[in-house]
Amino acid sequence: MILPVSNFSDRHVAFRAKPGENKDTTYDEDTLLENSFSNRVRIGMDKLTKAFTVYPAKGLTGSKNSNFYEFLTMGTVPYLIGSATLMAIFNAPNKSFMPDSKVPANSLGRKMALGVLFYGIFKSLSKSFIDAPVKWFTGVDTQLPYAKVNYQLQENPDDYNLTSIEYHKVGESVDFTRWDQLYGDPKKGQDLNFRYDKIAKKNGLGENLNDSDQEVKPIYKEVLVKSNLARSFSSYMWAATGVALAFQKPWDNFFKAATWKFWKVNEFTHSLKVFGQSFVQSCKDLYKGSPDAVKHFDKHAGKYLLGASVAITALGLLNTLHITKKPPKHVAEQVMDSNKESVVS
Amino acid sequence: MRTNLIQAYLNGSPAAKQYNSDKAAKDFDVHKELNNRTFIKPLPSNGKLVRNNLFDMPAEFFKDVKYDINALRHSVKGEANDHELGRLNDMGMKLGGVAIASYLFTRKSTPLTKVMEFVGLASFFTAMDVWPKLALQLPAYLVHGFNIRQKYEDNYGRKKLLYQDHQFIPWDLYSDEEINKIGDRLKVPNNIPNRREFIQEKMRKIALQNNTMWMLTAGFATPITSALICNALTNPISKYQDGKINQKADNLLLNFNEEIKKTDFSKQQQELEKLLTDNKGKPITPELFEQIHSRLSEGLDRVVATDMQKDLENIIPTGSGYTIDKKAVENIQSAIKIQLEPLHLSDEDLGKILPNTESLNRSFESKNLFRTEVKDFSEYSKEIQNVLNYNISEFIKANPDNPINRKLGFVAKKLVHSPEFGADSPLLSSLKFTPSAILNEGAIKTIENASKVLNQFKAEVGVLDRFAYLKAAQAPETILANSWNNITDDMLKSLNFTPKEIAKARIDREITGPLLREKLEYIVSDDTRYNQFVDTMFNKLSELHEKMASIDVPKDNNTNSYLGKVDTTYDGAAESLRKLGMNSLAQSINGKDGDVRSSAKHIQISFVKDRITGVKSSFYRLLNTVDVYRRISQLDKIPADTLHNKMPLQVKEELLEFVKQMLLDAHTSDYAVKFFTLRHPEINPPANASPEELARFYSQVEVQNGKVVNKILGTHPDNQLVELSNDKGFFGNVMRFVYKESPNPDTVNRGQTSLIWEDFMNYRKELLDILGGDSNFAKPYHLVDGIVNSTSERRFLRLGCAPDEMFYKLCKQKFNNHKWFKMFGGMGAALLGVTVLSQFFMGKMKVPETAKKENK
Repeated sequence: MILPVSNFSDRHVAFRAKPGENKDTTYDEDTLLENSFSNRVRIGMDKLTKAFTVYPAKGLTGSKNSNFYEFLTMGTVPYLIGSATLMAIFNAPNKSFMPDSKVPANSLGRKMALGVLFYGIFKSLSKSFIDAPVKWFTGVDTQLPYAKVNYQLQENPDDYNLTSIEYHKVGESVDFTRWDQLYGDPKKGQDLNFRYDKIAKKNGLGENLNDSDQEVKPIYKEVLVKSNLARSFSSYMWAATGVALAFQKPWDNFFKAATWKFWKVNEFTHSLKVFGQSFVQSCKDLYKGSPDAVKHFDKHAGKYLLGASVAITALGLLNTLHITKKPPKHVAEQVMDSNKESVVS
Repeated sequence: MRTNLIQAYLNGSPAAKQYNSDKAAKDFDVHKELNNRTFIKPLPSNGKLVRNNLFDMPAEFFKDVKYDINALRHSVKGEANDHELGRLNDMGMKLGGVAIASYLFTRKSTPLTKVMEFVGLASFFTAMDVWPKLALQLPAYLVHGFNIRQKYEDNYGRKKLLYQDHQFIPWDLYSDEEINKIGDRLKVPNNIPNRREFIQEKMRKIALQNNTMWMLTAGFATPITSALICNALTNPISKYQDGKINQKADNLLLNFNEEIKKTDFSKQQQELEKLLTDNKGKPITPELFEQIHSRLSEGLDRVVATDMQKDLENIIPTGSGYTIDKKAVENIQSAIKIQLEPLHLSDEDLGKILPNTESLNRSFESKNLFRTEVKDFSEYSKEIQNVLNYNISEFIKANPDNPINRKLGFVAKKLVHSPEFGADSPLLSSLKFTPSAILNEGAIKTIENASKVLNQFKAEVGVLDRFAYLKAAQAPETILANSWNNITDDMLKSLNFTPKEIAKARIDREITGPLLREKLEYIVSDDTRYNQFVDTMFNKLSELHEKMASIDVPKDNNTNSYLGKVDTTYDGAAESLRKLGMNSLAQSINGKDGDVRSSAKHIQISFVKDRITGVKSSFYRLLNTVDVYRRISQLDKIPADTLHNKMPLQVKEELLEFVKQMLLDAHTSDYAVKFFTLRHPEINPPANASPEELARFYSQVEVQNGKVVNKILGTHPDNQLVELSNDKGFFGNVMRFVYKESPNPDTVNRGQTSLIWEDFMNYRKELLDILGGDSNFAKPYHLVDGIVNSTSERRFLRLGCAPDEMFYKLCKQKFNNHKWFKMFGGMGAALLGVTVLSQFFMGKMKVPETAKKENK
């Protein structure tokens, strides 16, 4: 391995794994993973744990192995801490207030907290409004994960564990899509292009294509770009809808009954029941609008927000499914026979 | 193993490659170039570091907008790159933010809270942007001498952070000179080998540590900074909006005629005219009457609308009777048919029972019942019954065994003699189908003219209502509400309430009262403090007075005053309606013979006047309280007439204590029962008192530092204190001392030139009358100054809010704000401190050995 020229050492601050702590080396090479629920949870937990532990430690010590992936993964930290801080801003001081101030402050604060929660949940869940139909109609799984084996630089002579595992998605970059991960492994008895074949068939390009990968790649990339656009806009609109939902009056009933004491079964069950009722009633109220509203827009704002979220999702989805980069269908006679000699002018 | 394309290219036979380019330079020999290894190197970079200053910002902004629009265009076509998609994600986040703010905007009811939704959104994005710049970039630049958030523009014009990806930092964008300069700043020795690389590594490390700090702190910092920005902006925005709202309200009156025209009633007028034209010459049915009435009274007060009904009944009478003609006979048939329906008769049987047209016509004609203006229907019912009875008896004769016969008789009887008959039975309706009165030309003209008058009236009242709402409605963020907040805030500052005192005072008014009393006594004991305090009060109250001038100033002094406009609007409409003969309506609009009480005009005036009176009275009460405290503090210099030489010292002390307490916490109910205060019963001197003892007995009170030094008060045990209801003069003296004695000379000097002085003195006078001298007290004949007829509402409004309650509520509100600010302001400051200090621990690297030795 060629190491960069270095005439200094950071030994005293280097972050390194201790012998026996090498838990990441479950993969010998970059490996495509199944987009299953268990994998998603495992990857999510791995990234979340590292975002709060390993990566900040590496970053704060200035490790030369810190990379952009780690920086992006650490984005979860401000997202989660920010959510908790936002909830605290509207709730933490309330307990010191006098009862007549506390009641309205709590009502607003709890709705704010619920809004923050719904923002995250709606944003996350709504991505499947795009991903699932796209996968269903085009065969392109835009969220297909793979484990990347990352070779690190030695920070000091004691470092012998020079690999780390990163979890990426095949299509996370439209400029550098990991096409290689989509090829089958003939050693395992897989056709080289079997994944491309499936996508080609799904998109009506035909079966038994010689170079299905070449035919599919432009389509795949188009789907990645368009679905990315659709997801970006629709998920934030649904997140906004979540916040609007959290600000409906029926949640006050839930806040009165809410409890985290799951060991008190009856109370906890009642709390869940009221949550369900409040959710349904809030959805209705969001749609119907406030009876106190005077202006037309004020009354129907919830309806418009819902409509906008649905419209943006539908438009984004239709645009994604409208594939323009399909290769023209070849007529058998027009296809050049590679066995025959031909002259090209 | 993956093929190295460059190596393969170099190793390949040159003959295998064909190059055919028209654009190749004449002396370009590709083989020679390929054999020369220097060819194999990256192309020179066209990237550059972005070094924008403030003046470039607008151009950069538009450049970014253009880039984003192109990114959107590309991504819709499926051709965008990663960078463009990243920008679109940011755009989506902002779109979502705007959607949230817009929705919450619709849920808020006041201008400030509405605006704050968007301010909150903007502040959140600002905080996201500002925090890394302020807490990391700036300190890092000051400590380390380079920009850790340096941006560069790549070959494709994409702007990126230079230190975003630590595995790819385009160092070549920095010149040697720049790097060395930064190295000097970083105190990197000059004589080390590979100095540039060492500096770069140090820079990378510092940037990475800062990026990590950014990720770790942003979660706390962004919401807190955003909230603090909102907190800081609330007051300036509120002030700005207050000015705008005040101007908007005043403009409503200044441009009264233009504002009226903005309300278009032409559609309603046309609809009414169409209704009248369509029904011209037709009977005035109750439905028609109701339609006309509801169209005319739409948007009017219910009382006014009810009074209008009386006038309309004169213009289009519905009770002058009904016309019974051959058409009514057809209706009678239908009505009977409806009522026979429960019997489920066959068509054949029904045909036999139902009185036919000829028989009814014959019967009515024979009795001469076809007439107009019929009010009594008994003759008709008799005739109908006769015909019906005949038919039924014939039917029973023909079908003696029909089980329905008995029911038939019963139904027939009920049909005509039902107790409901005369109310709303179908038969009565059929007879009342054609009222005799018809809608004539004269009535139409009157109604049309009345509608025009009323439309103009509604438009004018609409403008007045809007003005009144903006100025003084019982709602947050009106001019009056803002003034209240502004003045009370200043009072709290002037009284120097500390956060600890605020925390205590907000618990209960019983705690606020003594604390406030201490504060007031402290202020009045010093000339400078007192003058400063009353100056603030007079200034602030004058501002309020000025803002409310368009309502409060008598109409004679101000042509654009609210009262003037109310007069012209209500009196003008009432006069026009009187000319049209609609006297009841006119009376409910502006009263009778100049007495406006209980009229709509009175409501229009009192709606705002009462609110203003309540607010002003509360502040005048505080001002009067401070003045009385000042007078008490200076009793040794300026004696009070009320505390005369024949008043025992004990009574004087009781009176002054009572006065101080009453001013702070008394309500109207306390005044009404004359307080029932507990006092010591011995108010006469001892029988054999010596002249010295008598002199002491009637001596003046002693004051010190704004407080009365009580010599007798408080020395008696509680069980000796009683309510002295026979001491008639005590309450009178209290009232005279508080409201009748001249204000303190300092108060007079400071206030007599202010706008509110006259108003303040009138307040004192009125209080003496309505609270000190009301004839309806619990104890009759305990009068102070004359007899005044005042309502409890007036007394309530004039007394205003008790100062201890005012400050109790204020402290509660202030405590909440302080608490929040202390908690999150402190957190924000601590976070900023830690983040800034962290710079001093960043970029630590071992200097190479060679350099160290040489430095020695």
